[in-house]
Amino acid sequence: MNTETRAVEDSIAKVDNELAVGEDLDFQRRWWRFEKWIWRFFALLVLADIAGLFGRGPLAKAQKHTPDGAMHIKYERIERFSTPSILTIQLGPASVRKGTVHVWVSSSVVDRLGNQRVIPAPSQSEVVKDGVIYTFPADDVPSEIAFALQPADIGLSHLTIRLLDADNKPLPAQDYLNLDIFVMP
Amino acid sequence: MYTITHAIFGYFFLLLVVRVLSRRPGGQLTPFEFVIVFLIGGLIITATVGDDKSATNCILAIITIGLMHRLTAQVRARFSGLSHFMDGVPIVLLNRGRWHTQAMDGMRLKDDDVMAAARTRGMRDMSEIRYAVLERVGTISILSESDSKVRQEEIETAGNDAGSKHSE
Repeated sequence: MNTETRAVEDSIAKVDNELAVGEDLDFQRRWWRFEKWIWRFFALLVLADIAGLFGRGPLAKAQKHTPDGAMHIKYERIERFSTPSILTIQLGPASVRKGTVHVWVSSSVVDRLGNQRVIPAPSQSEVVKDGVIYTFPADDVPSEIAFALQPADIGLSHLTIRLLDADNKPLPAQDYLNLDIFVMP
Repeated sequence: MYTITHAIFGYFFLLLVVRVLSRRPGGQLTPFEFVIVFLIGGLIITATVGDDKSATNCILAIITIGLMHRLTAQVRARFSGLSHFMDGVPIVLLNRGRWHTQAMDGMRLKDDDVMAAARTRGMRDMSEIRYAVLERVGTISILSESDSKVRQEEIETAGNDAGSKHSE
């Protein structure tokens, strides 16, 4: 049986023509420079994370409100995939119509942002075209509604929240808010 | 799908971090480095597996990492330059009584790290070391002065034998 063979060559660089080491100092010096920069980059990532650039920090938190004060939303503009967070809507007196508050939320709240539950539980939830209408009794105004989110999709999500009248017709144009939320992987 | 992408990303990210962490995690594992290796491994597992605790997910993650490892090994074998990036190169730390200070500082090694390796070869002090080489796996190879003398004698003997045969 033939066995394939190859001649042994002196292919490894030697030190002092004595010890075959294969040292490549030029490469190693370049690598040390690379290491220096990569650690600086890692340090920047940590600082950016502390600041909230990747979510769950001061820069990630955002607020928006309607001009008439009917809605004041606190949310995280940068979320993390599959990580729980809370979006709160503080309702002002202008949001109440005939003793109830009707809130239309675009379907992305469920599809992309993975809404788990609404607190307090709405008296009625109705799935309509492109969204969900939640109805709450408005015994105590101002009051607060919380959405427990757990994003199910990575990337930019557009969320629209709009107040409706008692017949589920949109209130004047200023009574809606558009939120852009980026979900980190 | 997420498990596979996370496993691929986790594999290469871990490769980069362990590579830039210096040469020692796989070699002379001190308790300090032991903590790093296990903590990083644990964190990568969390992101890779996520909430999915099924056997399917576990098997797919293991297969993906196995495939990545095999693919990387094949690419590395084909392109020798790539092994420099992935494994590093051997570095001479001590050469016939002279420390290579840039290499020692660059690899964050101290004299006692080299002496610890020398002691495992039965050496009593630095003067017995002819070469100390930091290997790609993180261990320090020590060649003693006596090794070199033996080798030198072998070369000389071989040379004399060849000369005497030639004169005959």
